[in-house]
Amino acid sequence: MTWREFQRLQMVSRVNDRFVSYVEAGDGPPVILIHGIPVWGYLWHGIYSGLARTRRVLIPDLLGFGFSDKTDCFNRSIACQAHMITAWMTQLGIPRATIIGHDIGGGVALRMATLFPAQVEALIVMNTVCYDSWPIELMLQFGHPEAHRKLSASLAVRLLRQALKRGFASSLNRKILEGLLAPYSTETGKLSLIRNAAALNTNLTTEITHLLSGISIPTLVLWGMEDRFQPIHYGERLAKDIHGSRLIRVKDARHFLMWDQPEIVTKHLLDFLDRTVPSRPLLV
Amino acid sequence: MKNHPIPEEEAEKELDSIFHEIKQVFRVSGVNLNFRTWATYPKFFPVLWESIRPVAETRLFEESSNHIRALAARLAEKLPRLDAPTSVGLGESQIFQIQAALDLYHYINPKLLVISSLVEYSCQHPTMSEFQSQRQDHELIPRGIPLRMYPMEMIDETPDDATLRRTFRDIQRTLGLPGINSDYRTLALWPEYLVSVWHRLKPVVTHPLYLETALTLREAAQQMASHVLPRLTVPEDQLRILGRKRTQFLETTAQFTQLLPPLIINIVLISLDWRSRQDLERSPFPIEFSSPVLETST
Repeated sequence: MTWREFQRLQMVSRVNDRFVSYVEAGDGPPVILIHGIPVWGYLWHGIYSGLARTRRVLIPDLLGFGFSDKTDCFNRSIACQAHMITAWMTQLGIPRATIIGHDIGGGVALRMATLFPAQVEALIVMNTVCYDSWPIELMLQFGHPEAHRKLSASLAVRLLRQALKRGFASSLNRKILEGLLAPYSTETGKLSLIRNAAALNTNLTTEITHLLSGISIPTLVLWGMEDRFQPIHYGERLAKDIHGSRLIRVKDARHFLMWDQPEIVTKHLLDFLDRTVPSRPLLV
Repeated sequence: MKNHPIPEEEAEKELDSIFHEIKQVFRVSGVNLNFRTWATYPKFFPVLWESIRPVAETRLFEESSNHIRALAARLAEKLPRLDAPTSVGLGESQIFQIQAALDLYHYINPKLLVISSLVEYSCQHPTMSEFQSQRQDHELIPRGIPLRMYPMEMIDETPDDATLRRTFRDIQRTLGLPGINSDYRTLALWPEYLVSVWHRLKPVVTHPLYLETALTLREAAQQMASHVLPRLTVPEDQLRILGRKRTQFLETTAQFTQLLPPLIINIVLISLDWRSRQDLERSPFPIEFSSPVLETST
């Protein structure tokens, strides 16, 4: 699927004064897939249809990302993104959902599970930001306000493309990589991504550290073992701190494990979902 | 327009501050071609902006632009319909964003026509008097970009996509544009849609009624500039700053007053695929006033 085809599937919701673009597919218990930085919902296009056979899958673009609102005047922190996702769920009439988050999308998921547990049925975090694991050096540089003047949009996309390659164990199709960065290839898109990078803040995960042990919903920590951006030891620490959670290490996978090992990742996701949130009520 | 317009992201120091203020005063999410072109006269532009600002932030200016917008909607309704969206399979979010982008330009283009006409008129009739904020219609409008306004996102003037490049060239040639305008660069975010729109719009722009409509809008804006709005304070000695470039500046400004009416009509025609004429007569980002200053009916 090209990024243009994925974009065409996107629906839209107004959340307060902002708009959120999202893809929805399938039927069953709701599962929300949250991307990280610097990508958008297209990240999930290789695996979502497998989940949508038995689930209602929803893939939002976070505010300031992809084809959601990119105006230059609002807070894009993971704290605000978590509020946005909960408000958006309410608007769609979804009281509770399984949240799957990757990278800073995992940070959003962790904040939802600790601060708005009533809305989270089960939690899956994949190579997520946590504790003081972030922001990585690249994003710190990218988030500098001067980056807007120093980098043209085309140069910014080229630099990001180069940097993102380190997040994949396999050599990725160039079209897919271009698609992941496509929304940021205009000056507005670039500025929005810079604002998103500027909003990355360690405090927003360190401040919930003491709440992690209180997470009582089913939790899976899924980690590409060779990740250079979010090393595996953070996943190990997270799995220890969230009681009852399970850590699965995915071999031959880096940060973007859903691209390095799509079949294995899909299998683990479905196994966990089938055990914790069955798609049909169990017959007694 | 011989000088290459200065991109917003390349503005530094004083120009960066002026561009920021333009967005605040004009209540718009980006800096349009007019200002980016006028900014290529670095000594004169700050003087010009200082004279534009006190007028542009008045209720009278806002309502003058509202009048042009409403007139454009009424006149354009008589032109052939485009029905462009039916030919392109657009998604829900894409439709939402196209409509939001059209609202942005439907709001700002009439303001640009009025201000260009006022700059043209004021430079032809330089004054020594200061702008006086005494009348009730000089009530100030709130500053700032409306919360729900779409960002002025545009693709590059020379896109990678060959079909888009061809379409841009065709638009420029047909409309006699010196460069490809922001409107079309924004609509190019949805390339198939822009191609479809242009395919349907192209035959309309040579229609005699279209040309008459453009002329009517231009004259209405000139009328606003000469009889309704206060003249800008552009003293003769300030115009001398331009030196030998004075003629070029005046030609450039006159070109804007010619090019903007068709751009306004085109946005109305494209918007008529989505909205009613009555909707388009109203400002997409209205400001609440206690009573209207100008009657908007013909």
